[in-house]
Amino acid sequence: MSRSAEPDPGMIGGVAQPDFARLPDPVALFQTRARRFAFLAQSSRLGPYLAFLGELAALQARLAAAMPPPVLPGPAPLDRAALAEDPALQATPAALCAGAADLDMPGPARLALQAVTAADAQDRRWLLGNVLSDRIPEDSAAPHLFAAAAVQVHLARLAAQLDAKSLRPSAPGCCPSCGGRPVTSTVTGAQGIENIRYATCATCATQWNVVRITCLCCGSTKGISYRSAETTEAMVKAECCTECGSWVKILYATKNPTLEALADDVASLGLDLMMKETGLTRGGFNPFLVGY
Amino acid sequence: MTIDLSRRSFLKLAGAGVAATSLGAMGFGAAEAAEVAHVRAFKLATMTETRNTCTYCSVACGIILYAKGDLKAGETAELVHVEGDADHPTNRGTLCPKGAAIKDFALSATRAVKPRYRAPGGAAWQDISWDQAFDKIARAIKDDRDANLIETNDQGQVVNRWKTAGFLAASGTTNETAWTTYKVVRSLGMVAFDNQARV
Repeated sequence: MSRSAEPDPGMIGGVAQPDFARLPDPVALFQTRARRFAFLAQSSRLGPYLAFLGELAALQARLAAAMPPPVLPGPAPLDRAALAEDPALQATPAALCAGAADLDMPGPARLALQAVTAADAQDRRWLLGNVLSDRIPEDSAAPHLFAAAAVQVHLARLAAQLDAKSLRPSAPGCCPSCGGRPVTSTVTGAQGIENIRYATCATCATQWNVVRITCLCCGSTKGISYRSAETTEAMVKAECCTECGSWVKILYATKNPTLEALADDVASLGLDLMMKETGLTRGGFNPFLVGY
Repeated sequence: MTIDLSRRSFLKLAGAGVAATSLGAMGFGAAEAAEVAHVRAFKLATMTETRNTCTYCSVACGIILYAKGDLKAGETAELVHVEGDADHPTNRGTLCPKGAAIKDFALSATRAVKPRYRAPGGAAWQDISWDQAFDKIARAIKDDRDANLIETNDQGQVVNRWKTAGFLAASGTTNETAWTTYKVVRSLGMVAFDNQARV
């Protein structure tokens, strides 16, 4: 409390001063994600898949803590094309595959894991190249899932070393740290920045401020509507844009602060299934949710 | 999705090569099928969030109007919630008690939504058309201006002052509306003019 008798408008709550970008803390990020997946798995029809992804996120957290810190190749935004050739990035899938061998998973997943583990340099570069360009071929979602999990670890650790103050907005739907596509956006309920919306990068997990009621794919502010299953009070909605015909999930952390940008995207697969009927295209990128 | 021919051998090893979703490709098809069956009974509900300016005062705080139903898609929209626009530089999501209650103002059962007339000395309001209302207002303005316009001052200089009528305009209007209002009112010679509501 201010002890001065002078009026101080700053003491009045709710004056939001949002930072443009919030960088990830990789270990905490993957630990939180793992806990959220594990919690969601308890009550979801997708339980087995969510439980598996929870184990995978826990592995990502262990790798983020144990692997030698990567060297930042240059200022933001990170050059993804150059990263494909980075030996430090190429070492991450190997470590992830070795760790993932101990996880429980169905036969097809294990087959894909073994193939990624045994992949030659050329095939591995192909996998990483696809993941780094945010394009997963729909005929090979499983091997790319492991490659993407490794790239997430590496890029989150690189992004964590950037200077958040140096980040600048770029094109709509482009992560200021790594140029990647967002997975979802979150309306935050954190004190001081209530109702501010942050988009979360699907890969490096940098969060950047995007004005609400704006399409995350084309930047349009016209023709935006919010669709949700059954009730308009939902915590997860599809932000639809009639200008570009795409939609991206928006999570209302104002209603539930435990929502996690990537885990709750997977867990709300039901919304994707319903949105498929609308003819709009899914704009959020999630390598764990290919084909919707 | 076409298959990259050079990757045939790798894809075969990975058990891939057929377009499938992540869950299907990873062997979680049963969970996916359960979710598909579960959502079949559900319908999508639509909410619109619309950015607007609070109509109360000249501070012009940003507000977000939440409505059930999408007007642009030909549905009826029902205003269900209003909150401060956290992205707006003026108020950063905050609203004063009047602004915070603006939903009840918009949906008020006693809100005037059409012109009504109460005759001098009368007790009852009667509905009139917009044409009738404009005619009455124009007549009253013209009569008052004809009777009271001060065309010259003591030195005989042309001043065209009209001091017996005043004009109070809204604050929640756009710049263009405010400009037009100013030009119309001042060109009539009206002196008492305020374009901001000091509530």
